[in-house]
Parts: sequence; structure tokens; C-alpha cells
Amino acid sequence: MTTNGLTKDYGGAGLFDVDLRVPRGSVYGLVGPNGAGKTTLLSLLSAVRRPDRGTISMDIGRSQVAVCPDVPEFDRWLTAAEVVDLARSLVASSMDGQAVATALEAAGIADSAGRRVGGFSRGMIQRLGLACALIGAPELLILDEPTSALDPAGRAEMLSLVAAMRGHRTVIFSSHILADVQRIADQVGILRDGRLLYQGATRDLIDTYLEPSWLVRVAGDPAPVAAAMTARPWATKVEPVGADTIRVEATTVEAGERGIPAVLAECGARQVSCEPRAADLESAFLALTGANS
Amino acid sequence: MTTVPARLPRPRMNLWRLEWLRLIRTPRALALGAVFVFFGLLEPVLTRYQSQIFRHVGNGVHISFPPATPAAGVSGYVGELSGTGLIVVVVVAAGAFTFDSRHGLATFLRTRIASFWQLLAPRFTVNAAAAAIGYLLGTLAAWFETDVLIGAPPAGAMLGGMLCGAVYLAYAVAVTALAATIVRGTLGTVGIALGALFLLPIAGVYRPIGNWLPSALANAPVDLLNGTHHLSHYLPAFAVTAAVSAAALAIAALRLRLREI
Repeated sequence: MTTNGLTKDYGGAGLFDVDLRVPRGSVYGLVGPNGAGKTTLLSLLSAVRRPDRGTISMDIGRSQVAVCPDVPEFDRWLTAAEVVDLARSLVASSMDGQAVATALEAAGIADSAGRRVGGFSRGMIQRLGLACALIGAPELLILDEPTSALDPAGRAEMLSLVAAMRGHRTVIFSSHILADVQRIADQVGILRDGRLLYQGATRDLIDTYLEPSWLVRVAGDPAPVAAAMTARPWATKVEPVGADTIRVEATTVEAGERGIPAVLAECGARQVSCEPRAADLESAFLALTGANS
Repeated sequence: MTTVPARLPRPRMNLWRLEWLRLIRTPRALALGAVFVFFGLLEPVLTRYQSQIFRHVGNGVHISFPPATPAAGVSGYVGELSGTGLIVVVVVAAGAFTFDSRHGLATFLRTRIASFWQLLAPRFTVNAAAAAIGYLLGTLAAWFETDVLIGAPPAGAMLGGMLCGAVYLAYAVAVTALAATIVRGTLGTVGIALGALFLLPIAGVYRPIGNWLPSALANAPVDLLNGTHHLSHYLPAFAVTAAVSAAALAIAALRLRLREI
């Protein structure tokens, strides 16, 4: 899926000139602060809203796109199985009842298949929404905040489920939980004020917008290690932070991860610990949005 | 989480069954049937015993009524076509057509259909049929009771009145479908639909137009019973009602397609 100059203007707010590139088979995480335009973008991709400008291109049919909103809603007097069966009748009428059971099972609510939706918790409703999205084996899955109502165990299950889709189908999901995005998304897009600030590989984002650094603690005097580190081209800054500890900053995460053990080995130093600074998406997100503020 | 997918019964759900379940798993069907049958049973009794009733509540004031006739016995019930019965029909239909008032439900439906006719056709058909059946049950109740208490009303006029009433209620459901595309909420939809249905008869005061208006069908059962008109008199109203209903549904489908959620 690609978009070109996608714009939806709500009088200054909305979405502006978004060029999305979602590789086939990837898990694409969409992150951004409240009001950044995540839901607007997903609504445009889902075709429940129309853009003011720009285009959306997909190499699959609309019937191969499944959508699960952040707060799914269903008629309270239907059972979970009936809801998923209704979704089956609309998108995959040739499939049999076993497909319904499989979707309910995958979403973790097979035990509640015969219960009416009116008695479901919000987490179960969210699982039911996912079951509806899974039926028909869509090529593209659009999930808006899929873990927002789930408890920790449910979140882990949901993330594992989405992560397992990588390579089989394309998933675009939004989340305000950056750790979730980092865990399962191989591609990430960062929105702020309706504009796409970054998109690309999650790992590249972390590498690009962080100054990777480590606290290296050795047994004995760290000075020879610090001197050897300083001489390396990938080391941008080396400074002592204690009697047996130095802080090393590198040009990239990979350079540091490869270079530090090599220098320690060359120096014959006895490493006590090598603790990376938290190199996570949240830090990268803050660095990116902070740099652009 | 279980590890073996449970076998489920054969697939049965579709948008038509959804509307059927909406009727029978909620108080909708009961409300439709109850309101028409209640008035169908009540009105002939009131007509038959109106003298006695007024004697008891009239504080000594004596009011003379003409002898109850079969036409009068059924006429009171027929008035529900533009009264309580109509309101219940519109409220029930509005609940089915206002799916856009719930964002999650609207997303579920809108991202899975190929055409809005898929949503409108079963909602209109099932609600119109349910309204017609409720009205017919009430008419049969009124017919039976009038026959027992007062005398047999003319069968031809009764059947003709049933047809007119059923077509008028289908028109009311179509108007409700259109109203649901003007606003999103159920209350607003009911208000707009009832406003249109109640205000339209005002135009019918001008006689040449009145014979063509759908509201003529609401009054037709009484006129048929009284022998004022023959069923063929209402052919223009039938044609206009069918055309307006079809147009209302077509415009509703177009407006739903243009609407964003």
C-alpha cells in the first residue's frame, strides 16, 4: 500500500501530504501523540472517510482489506459466533463454519462463542473485533489501537498474534504504547500534527535518532580501555563516570555493539558489565519529535 | 485460551437474518404486535360501550350516541395508522437504520459491504413486513371483536383497508430510512421522520393533491368502511407512495455512500 500526498484538512487539523509506503508482508506501526492524525489516516486507508487530496494505491482489492477500530461495536443481542459468522457472510461467504471457529480461537474467545456480546468486557469486544478482522484471511489488516483495552496477558497474546502475521499478510496498526510497536513492528511511521515525520525500519529509526551510548564497567583501571576506545573512529565520546566505569558513545548502535567487545578483548580487560543506554522507540520518538519541534 | 477450535453449527448469519434477530431478540416485535393488537381489541369495545362509559364518567351529564355500527367499531382502530401505531413503527425502524450512530458498528458494516443496498434492503423489507404484520394482526383482532360485539364489517372494505395500511406503513419505514441519513441519532431520526409523516397530510387539505398523497392511504381504511370511496380511488396514491418510497430508499443509499464516519 502506498499513499501520495494524502490530505484531509479539518480546518488546520487533520492530515497533510502523507506519503505512506507499506511493504507487502510487513507489520507497520503507526505512532504519534494524541491528535497526530493516526485515526484519520487509518480511516482514510479503510475508505470510511475520503481524502481532500492525494491518492491511495493498493495492489489488492478492497475485499482483501479488513479493519478493526479501536472500539469495536456490535449488536448486543448477537452471540460472538453470530457476529463473526455475519462477518464471514459479508467477506468470505464461501467459507464454512469452521472458519468462524478458527477466527474465534485465534482471537482467544472460542470459549465465549455462544455468549451474547452484551455481556462482554471491553477487552473481549476488542478480541471479537480482531476475530471479525481475521475471518476471510485478508491480505491487509488495519488495526486501530488493538491492545488498548487488553490486560497485560491479553496484550502479549495480541502482540504475538500480530507478530506471527509478518510475512503472511500486511498489518498496519496504530498504538500509543511504543514498546508494543517496537516489539512487533518492523516498519514504523511517526505522525505529528498530521504530518509524517519519519517512516522506515524500526531499527533504523532507533539507530538514526539516538546517540548510542553504553556504560562499560571493568575490573581494575579503565583508563587503557578508554584510551583504546577513543582511538576508534566509531567512538564519538569516551569519558570516565566512576572509578571502574566509562561511558562510551558511538556513531551507531551497531558500531558500538560490535566495537566495544572487540576493544575489551584487545585490551585484555575483564568486563564486569556493559549496559546500553535505553535504546528504545520511545527515546527515538522523543528525540525525533523533539528535534522537529 | 483453548487449543482446539470448537466446531460450530453450519453458517447461518447474513444481513437478513440479522434483521430478523433484531426483531425477535429485542422488544421490537413484541412492541409492534402489542400496540396494534391492543388497540385492535380496545377500539371496538369503546365503540360498543361508549354510551355506558360516558354515563359512568360523565358526572350526570347525559350524552346520546348513535347506535354503534361495524364501520365505527373498526374506524377507531384504523386511526392508529397515523397515531400510536405509526410512532412505534418509526421508532422500531429508526433503531435499525441508525447504524452510523455507533462508530464501531458503522466501521464493521461499512468496511465489509459492497453496496449500501446490502444494508438498506433487509432493514427496509423486514421492518416494513413486521409493521404490516403487526397492523394486520391488529386489524384482524378489531374485525373479530367488532363482528362479535357490533356486527360484521364489510369484508371487501376490510381487506382493502389492510392493503392501504400496509403500503402506508412501508412508506413510513422508507421515510425513516431517509431520515436516518440526515441525522445520525435515533431520536433525531424519529423526530424528522414523524415530522415529515405528520406534516405531509397538511398538504392534503388541498383536495386535488390530497388524493395523490401517501397520507390518503392512512385515511383510506375508514373511507372504504364508510363506503365513501372504492379501492380504485386510491390507485394514484398507491403509485405515488410506491414511487416516493423507492425514491426515499435510493436517496438514502446515495447519502449513505457520501457520508463519512
